Amino acid sequence: MSYQRTQSFNSRRQKNWSRNQNTVAYVSAIKLGPVAHTVLVALMITVLGLIYLTQATKATSYDYATEKIDSQIAELNTQKNDLQIENAKLTALETVKNSSVASTMTTPASTDYVSQ
Amino acid sequence: MNLELQKGSRSKILAAIIVSLIVVFIVRLFYLQIIQHGYYVQQANKEQLKRLTIPAKRGLIYALDGNIPVPIVMNQTVYTVFADPQTTDDNSKIIDTIRQIAGGNARDNLESLLSKKDSRYQILATRITRTQADKIKRINLKGIGFQEESQRVYTEGSLASQTLGFVDFGGIGRYGVEAKLNSRLTGTDGLLQSVTDVRDVPLTIGNNNIDKPAVDGANIVLSIDRNVQSHVEQALADGLKRTGATRGNAIVMDPQTGRVLAMANLPTFDPAKFNEVTNSADFNNGVVSAPYEPGSDMKTLTMATGIDKGVVTPSSTYVNTDHIQVDDRTISNASFGQTGTITFQHAMNWSLNTGFVTVAERLGDGSSITLGARNTMYDYFYNRFHLGQLTGLEVAGEVAGTIIPPTSEDGNAVRYATMAFGQGMDVTMVQVASAFCSIVNGGNYYHPTVLAGVIDKNGKYITNKIAGVSSPISKSTADQVRQMTQIARTTNFPGIDKPGYYIGGKTGTSQVAKNGTYATDETIATYLGYGGSEEMTRYVIMVQVSGDHKEFAGNYDAMPIFTDMSNWMINYLALQPKG
Repeated sequence: MSYQRTQSFNSRRQKNWSRNQNTVAYVSAIKLGPVAHTVLVALMITVLGLIYLTQATKATSYDYATEKIDSQIAELNTQKNDLQIENAKLTALETVKNSSVASTMTTPASTDYVSQ
Repeated sequence: MNLELQKGSRSKILAAIIVSLIVVFIVRLFYLQIIQHGYYVQQANKEQLKRLTIPAKRGLIYALDGNIPVPIVMNQTVYTVFADPQTTDDNSKIIDTIRQIAGGNARDNLESLLSKKDSRYQILATRITRTQADKIKRINLKGIGFQEESQRVYTEGSLASQTLGFVDFGGIGRYGVEAKLNSRLTGTDGLLQSVTDVRDVPLTIGNNNIDKPAVDGANIVLSIDRNVQSHVEQALADGLKRTGATRGNAIVMDPQTGRVLAMANLPTFDPAKFNEVTNSADFNNGVVSAPYEPGSDMKTLTMATGIDKGVVTPSSTYVNTDHIQVDDRTISNASFGQTGTITFQHAMNWSLNTGFVTVAERLGDGSSITLGARNTMYDYFYNRFHLGQLTGLEVAGEVAGTIIPPTSEDGNAVRYATMAFGQGMDVTMVQVASAFCSIVNGGNYYHPTVLAGVIDKNGKYITNKIAGVSSPISKSTADQVRQMTQIARTTNFPGIDKPGYYIGGKTGTSQVAKNGTYATDETIATYLGYGGSEEMTRYVIMVQVSGDHKEFAGNYDAMPIFTDMSNWMINYLALQPKG
């Protein structure tokens, strides 16, 4: 038994790129009307809004970071100030006078002067 | 298959409904966002936009340690602990914690404060330190909050308290430098206007943000040398203890600049505990706010006037009879016996009133204190030596005193005769000391000041320029009077000063006018002196001691205090002796 290639078969093979590919180009009869356009525009606006919100939130998160750093600076300044006060109190005349070092000091019996 | 919308189909009806709804939304949004825009922006700003005041830091006050500024008045952040009794739950734990950590700063009645459930704010402790606040915060007590505030810290305790003054609970400077320079020390608060979140954290979004930084108060450096101040206070306290006086005042000045190196007043107080002071008179700086009759200290200025006008010299003579008649009054010496023809130097040594009334007479026609003599004296005392007027010293409470002019009905010859030896006038110690500086520095008058400079933003010490100077008397006059006081001191009090230095001074014993007459049971003792080398005077010291119903003498009660201070100053300034 032998087969003969038909004309139509050959024609289908030549027209298609691969097997099982739809050979029919379906054109929808549905057209996007004003409502669909409006919805699409609304969706796009929503997406843009979300992008804006993302950026705004990002800026706000920087504010929180700044606030945190400012708080740390303020805290460190307070600590520095407290230490300066402590230093001033420890080097105050009254403290020095009452120190153990001062209590062991003696008055010289005589003083000599040298020419400068 | 035809998917196109059919006329009158349900889809079209739905589309129409959606479009209608969108139109409604648009109209509504237009109304809200466009027409009502202003209203809602206002409402939003009310909720979101916060105006926060950035408090300016009060300027620090420095004293000098030699030439180095050291802070003596600083700011410390302290906290007020408060509770919301409606939200607190474990009151016993709160009470234990606050008492344990805040100690004496806790309120006594914590139980009753926390039981006030109708209140939302009760103060449990005040002025606790940051460390204490941190400890309480770590325990995380419910319903407890903290409020920051700044308080002044006086690191040297009561040192120079009347010069410094203090800051009251409202943040206003009172007395001393704190009051006089309050506006300079206060600075200007800043403003932060910003959109905030619910926790009041400022956000950068928004168009109306304002960030105006606070301008902190100036950090000022006083000319007060804390070492000199400390010793002067100690010497004064020792002097008061020795003499039994209840009040003492002293001022130390640099005569070459007019800067005040120390200003002490006893009794004193601790500025940090100003609210515990029972006698408000303790706040007063008697050196500037207590006018008195200067007594014999004035004789130096009378002599300077006479010499400068060319009517007398230290070696000029007059006949002393221990009494002198001026109009209907007889004026007598305080010490008798130096009668006969004597020099004005001798009169200075013995502080004889008659000698200086004679100087006043010689400023006139030689035998009476004419209007011309009175005008001359007034010109020198008031216009040239700036007695009886404010010196402008940068401390609060300065009083001008009174020099009665010759044009006044009371400005007669008797008045000016007594003024020649320091009565019949009211002046302050700072006025007398400043005038005396012009005698011992060669004839230049510097307005006294307690300001040496400022500390700038970079922490650099910038010194003030010396204020304008005038020349009330010639250098020759100044040198002659300076020598007269040196001779007076070495003649009357030999061997009490360190040898090799040029030290002089004048005693003063003033009567106290009470109810229009001089009290018979009260006198004020003063000593006005200087020290240094013959070439240059390095310091002027004025001491005053007094007490109610107590009599003191300048040579016995005030002079030894001067000597103590003077000998110490020589060591402190490392002055080398001559010879």
